[in-house]
Amino acid sequence: MKEAVRTYIKENTFKEANKIEDSTLIFQEGFFDSMGFVMLIDFLEEHFQVKTSDEDLVEENFESIDAITAYINRKTNAN
Amino acid sequence: MKTGFHKDILHIQNIDEVVESIVTKLKTDTHNQLKRYGGVVGISGGIDSSCTLALAAKAFGPQRVFSIMLPEKDSSSDSEKLARKLAEKFEVEAIVENISGALTGFGCYERRDQAVRHVFPEYDPASYKMKIGIKSAPQSKLPPVFSVIIIDPDGKEKSAKLSAKDYMQIVAASNFKQRTRMSMLYYHAERLHYAVIGTPNKHEVEQGFFVKYGDGGADIMPIGHLYKTQVYQLSEYLGVPQEIIDRTPTTDTYTAEQTQEEFFYQFPFKTMDLLWYGYENEYHPENVAEVMGYSKEEILDIFSNFKRKQETTAYLRMAPIKW
Repeated sequence: MKEAVRTYIKENTFKEANKIEDSTLIFQEGFFDSMGFVMLIDFLEEHFQVKTSDEDLVEENFESIDAITAYINRKTNAN
Repeated sequence: MKTGFHKDILHIQNIDEVVESIVTKLKTDTHNQLKRYGGVVGISGGIDSSCTLALAAKAFGPQRVFSIMLPEKDSSSDSEKLARKLAEKFEVEAIVENISGALTGFGCYERRDQAVRHVFPEYDPASYKMKIGIKSAPQSKLPPVFSVIIIDPDGKEKSAKLSAKDYMQIVAASNFKQRTRMSMLYYHAERLHYAVIGTPNKHEVEQGFFVKYGDGGADIMPIGHLYKTQVYQLSEYLGVPQEIIDRTPTTDTYTAEQTQEEFFYQFPFKTMDLLWYGYENEYHPENVAEVMGYSKEEILDIFSNFKRKQETTAYLRMAPIKW
């Protein structure tokens, strides 16, 4: 799962992908912008069959590869 | 970092000199650089285009300004009424060019409605209204996500988060409106050997609240350096009709009523102006926080959102890349 998230993020940033660590704050550090965020949510929903609710849209769930992986884990385990 | 931030920092003290300098620059740049005799202004009945028209009339004389109302089937009927009043006040010739036919030809409405129906199959543009919403707090460290809101004939609202594909289709289709207006403005400008006088203010330019080659397509932007509260101050000084000054700025793009604050800025204009000024002029976040009634952390988050907005929208301000 983490590999899929990591690959998506590295393939879709406009910045230097090799500088992204699993703990890098991808929005705060400018690796992803607003369209990048919307597209990322689409990718996660499609790839992992999860539904993102308004309450899910918080930093803790999306700020880094680690955070996204943990969020998807929580969502898929809850289903 | 600077200190000494205060709430009146954007109030123009020497307004007569400021207006005179804008008017002189508008006239000389249009003549000497653009080499055009006058100006064409698209007027919507909103504060920005009204202020621009008033400045153009002062710069070129009313006989060398041509104003155009460009309504389409989703426009508010108030817009045309107020725009007419404005043109009369400044004795500028005004015509109406309804762009609904051109937009239908482009498939603007159908392409937009197709994306809305993808989310809400019951959406019927003949009886429903729609708008785009933003789901995010201005202090959030995450970028916003977008939703579509539909209002049924009984006034009942439904909202759903938009996928990137549907969001981009709605925006791209709606942008035909601004780009069609730009084409019509240039038709008249070329016919008259005039320049197109753009109406975006500083926030629209710097935060990217304009359509590239749409309302961003112009030859000169006389209020592009002015904050919204300054546009209001100039409008009052220039004698823009009070009804226009008192009107809440709307997007006038989607069928449901929507203020610019709700759609894009997420702050009242006075607050937005001051926060942006503090950000742009590198005032100390603690100083801005104290004056504006926020915590230092909130100001830092707001400033990083501003920075992100500038970076995200840089593409809109870019000229074509040439080698």
